[in-house]
Amino acid sequence: MTRTIYFINGPNLNLLGTREPEIYGSSTLKDIEKRCKAIGKKLGLNVVFFQSNHEGAIIDHLHEAIDTAQGVVINAAAYTHTSVAIHDALRAFKGYKIELHISNPHLRESFRHVSFVSPVVDAVVAGLGIHGYELVLDVMAGELK
Amino acid sequence: MTHKILVLNGPGLGDLSDYDGNTYRGLTLEKIRSECSRLCRDLGVELDFRQTEDQDEMFRWIAKESEGYDGVIINPVGYSRAASVSYALYRSAIQMIAMLKKPVVEVHISNIFSQSAEITQPLHEPVGDMGFVCGLGVQSYLLGIRAIAHRFGLDVTPQ
Repeated sequence: MTRTIYFINGPNLNLLGTREPEIYGSSTLKDIEKRCKAIGKKLGLNVVFFQSNHEGAIIDHLHEAIDTAQGVVINAAAYTHTSVAIHDALRAFKGYKIELHISNPHLRESFRHVSFVSPVVDAVVAGLGIHGYELVLDVMAGELK
Repeated sequence: MTHKILVLNGPGLGDLSDYDGNTYRGLTLEKIRSECSRLCRDLGVELDFRQTEDQDEMFRWIAKESEGYDGVIINPVGYSRAASVSYALYRSAIQMIAMLKKPVVEVHISNIFSQSAEITQPLHEPVGDMGFVCGLGVQSYLLGIRAIAHRFGLDVTPQ
């Protein structure tokens, strides 16, 4: 059975490649999605990408994931540090969950040091650049065998 | 030239028998070592894998011996938490490594944030270029190694 993985991307990640490339790199989210879909195909995973700047839309997608996905990779971006609602929605998803960040939030401003996402996921991967998206896909393939 | 990666394990990791038993039952440091060795061999990277029960030795390894390597993986157990009593020592060791501008990844076997309702902080203020992986068991190490090898320009796609 093909396993479905949701990559849920939060606010401002639509600007990837143009916003502060020295921190986030020059690839766009579309580039990353294309690479992940190709890798997912080889691994037998159905990769679904979603990005929104709206907290409620992210929560709606997490709810959708409950019925349709076996794994969720969440880069909640700035909502990581503020959203109790995303925390609760993640709690409701019982599949395998990875929190992903392109940069390492713990090494940045102190207002990024708290994550409401970390306590309700299986694993946290941060600061490995956009390559992190590909690396967690391999992990998902292993976990969802 | 062969790239060299140093993997440092802090106090307590020598015996994982009662460590987070539910999730990683049966995982031993030897198993972590052998999986890291196998991955490094496949990637053509030299590995130096160490563990110490002595915190001062760990800080010395981080601060002084990292220089001879192209990338470093550290499992600092509790030392990277700002609340740790030895945090200041850990932090100064990490600052030394940051000056070397080498890729460093902090790894933890379990999700260090899931243990308590309190949301903890692994590191307080910006220090260098440091990745972070927790909660993937032995894969935390393997992901760290692959991320660093990718920075060397090596193909790290699993075979």
